[in-house]
Amino acid sequence: MADAAFWAICLVVAPLFFAISSFVRGGLAHVFGPLAAWLNALAVLGLTVSFARSGPLRYAIGGWQLPLGINFRIDGLCVLMLAMTAVTGLAVSMYALGYFSLRIGSARQMSRHEQQRLFFWPLWLLLWAGLNGLYLSSDLFNIYVTLEITGLAAVSLTALSGKPAARLAALRYLLVSLLGSCSYLLGVALLYRCYGILDMAALSRLVSPGPLLWCGLALLTAGLLLKTALFPLHFWLPPAHANALAPVSAILSGLVVKASFYLLLRLWGEVFAQVLPPAAYVLLGALGCGAVLWGAAQALLQKRLKMLIAYSTVAQLGYLFIALPLIRLDPGPAARQAVVLLILSHACAKSAMFMAAGSIFLKAGHDRIADLAGIKEVLPVSSFAFVLAGVSLMGFPPSGGFVGKWLLLGVSLAGGQWWWGMMLVTGSLLAAGYVYRVASRLLVFKAPFFSRRQAIPPVMEWSAVLLAVLAMLLGLLAGSPLELLAAGNQVFSPAGLEVLR
Amino acid sequence: MMDAMGIFDMVLALALPWLGWRLLASPDLFRAMVLFISLGLLMALTWVRLQAPDVALAEAAIGAGLTGALFLSALRRLERLSEAERRLAFAGKREEEDEIPPERHRRAKPVAYGLALLLLAVFVLLLAWSLAQTPAGGGLGPAVGEQLGQSGVRSEVTAVLLNFRGYDTLLEVMVLFLAALGVWSLTRVRLPLQDEEPGPVLATLVRLLAPLMIMVAGYLVWIGGSRAGGAFQGGAVLAAAGVLLLLANVTVVRQIPAALLRWGLALGPLLFLLTAVVCVAAGGNLLEYPPQRAGAWILLIESASAVSIGVTLAALYAGGRPPEPPAQDRGGEQGPGRDADADAGGRQ
Repeated sequence: MADAAFWAICLVVAPLFFAISSFVRGGLAHVFGPLAAWLNALAVLGLTVSFARSGPLRYAIGGWQLPLGINFRIDGLCVLMLAMTAVTGLAVSMYALGYFSLRIGSARQMSRHEQQRLFFWPLWLLLWAGLNGLYLSSDLFNIYVTLEITGLAAVSLTALSGKPAARLAALRYLLVSLLGSCSYLLGVALLYRCYGILDMAALSRLVSPGPLLWCGLALLTAGLLLKTALFPLHFWLPPAHANALAPVSAILSGLVVKASFYLLLRLWGEVFAQVLPPAAYVLLGALGCGAVLWGAAQALLQKRLKMLIAYSTVAQLGYLFIALPLIRLDPGPAARQAVVLLILSHACAKSAMFMAAGSIFLKAGHDRIADLAGIKEVLPVSSFAFVLAGVSLMGFPPSGGFVGKWLLLGVSLAGGQWWWGMMLVTGSLLAAGYVYRVASRLLVFKAPFFSRRQAIPPVMEWSAVLLAVLAMLLGLLAGSPLELLAAGNQVFSPAGLEVLR
Repeated sequence: MMDAMGIFDMVLALALPWLGWRLLASPDLFRAMVLFISLGLLMALTWVRLQAPDVALAEAAIGAGLTGALFLSALRRLERLSEAERRLAFAGKREEEDEIPPERHRRAKPVAYGLALLLLAVFVLLLAWSLAQTPAGGGLGPAVGEQLGQSGVRSEVTAVLLNFRGYDTLLEVMVLFLAALGVWSLTRVRLPLQDEEPGPVLATLVRLLAPLMIMVAGYLVWIGGSRAGGAFQGGAVLAAAGVLLLLANVTVVRQIPAALLRWGLALGPLLFLLTAVVCVAAGGNLLEYPPQRAGAWILLIESASAVSIGVTLAALYAGGRPPEPPAQDRGGEQGPGRDADADAGGRQ
């Protein structure tokens, strides 16, 4: 069996290769795309197995050692993020296979759907390569390039729907994404001027507080916050996520916003953890609280299902930021483990939710929540998937969200900062509110439902259900990912923390 | 003491922000674009003064030349949209958006702009102060100099771009590919780009210039190994030739089959990727060229990339995927963006 480095290379090269192939040979795109998804899953499996056996690894690209070259850094967090992308991405790819096989409407629309199918696969595979490259890379500038790939591909995918609303949202997304990238790049340039090095691990050994470091870090963080859509910078997210095609919404909400948060976690939880003042963490935590409240309140007010789910993403991203001050507070690894669990379970649950909503949209021809009563009679599996994903978002046991919030609650009470814990509970109650709003219509009310007689392929329904079940079971299975996390990363294991402090 | 170059630098330093300000403040889009092009040229001069000729070349070719051309082409497209279409698009927008009441909007705008400007000014001052406070770190210049002998090229910039940090460039080539893909996914191109027939001056100019530009592009790629130049600069000149050919509406350009264009876009990225994989297959790391042949490999990658960059940038200028199949789809091509915007119902 090949070693971890080989699988890491596959994770970048394979999606790129299949993206180009599916562009050049458009007729085979629907073959290349799923093939790449399965190969990617295989590579992640191989990477996980060899990582569990041989531990963390650095890989010098081009054979150039630091500080000259670029390194892959494979540790527990990186492997978990790659696994999350692989599983969610595979489910979305299968869903997309069913989604783009549908033919609706006039001949004119058919040619349009054909174009969407042709361009979806290369764009999605490029996005995937960008995500994989981002998680693998240890080099701040290289990460900028992967962020660009991810952002541009996400914007193009958003615009793929072709509706004026989607194009407008995509344009706004493009501008925000570019502004975020510019800010990030400027921050990287300032850090390079300070320390003359771009590798994150090497940087963490060099950093010392100083005005230029604050400026650079502020720019890095501001750029990433824009891309992660932390309240009040979330304005671009709901229209973009809600107006995209269903598989694209699942990708954007489940995976893309996680990439920039992952980077924030690296920078704030690891690289600059020793020099950043606690007040900065509290500020981000407070913005997280704002996100939880505002996102949930907006979700409660929405009339359209996909808008509701998009605002729920704004709220759920808030939890991740509430975890940041707790990471600072926590002497043990619990808070760090919790935030990773929250990321994983939100990726699964939110993608499942958007996929189920997409099936419902196709079946009903609209997504007005008020008119969806009784759809469980015609779409039982998708309705079940939606509700199950919703329950996982609320944080019911045994979901991954439950374990994550439970850990965070424990940390906040033990550290005497109960208000963070209170926000978590409030957020869960609000989430229960907006999920109930939809679930009651989907499951309880029995109304005669007039469907458009659009047959939904089973693969679309079942891929959503599988992801939702996975999100639900993540709490029970949490042991093994957390072990993996501790194995590869000093910061995330109890022993490593002793070294760090 | 201030010598002549010092005065020149001062003028540059003052002219750049002033031009930027005029550009942003200009209500006339065309004027703003002309200002943008002059800003790009001044930027190129600034890079020369900072002793970065590679960046200066790229800035002049891409920053001023091609971006300016792209802006102008976008402006022409906007003007082509008839008043009715514009109103239609606006109505569609209003449906989806909760419009802010006009009075509140009017009052909020200057306040928001003022606040943003103030914040920006404070941050810039802070940045300038902290830059002055902090001594520059070592940088990687010396390390590059040490290893230059093993890189296979004599130009430091090319060594960094194609060898030491070749992985970055591999991904950047993908970004360009992605940009073209994104534009192609949006709309179809409508040829000819100009409404009126090209005059005899343009036709003659193109006949003379196009071959020359292709030669210059080849030279830039070749010289990149030892001096300023390389795939991006060469590709940009190639793209400029493509733009001229598109403007002159040369028959050959119109008749390039779509499949060939696809291969043109994909050639550079694909070859770069395959090279990286071959390095692994040969027992090295990703993108670890065999040391003796590194120069040749880099030249190969650069040539293929230059072709693809040229095609990509020219395709961006054309602004859409090639019309295929040409006979059947006439109905969908009456206005720019029409085929995609008109039937917006669809599905989600």
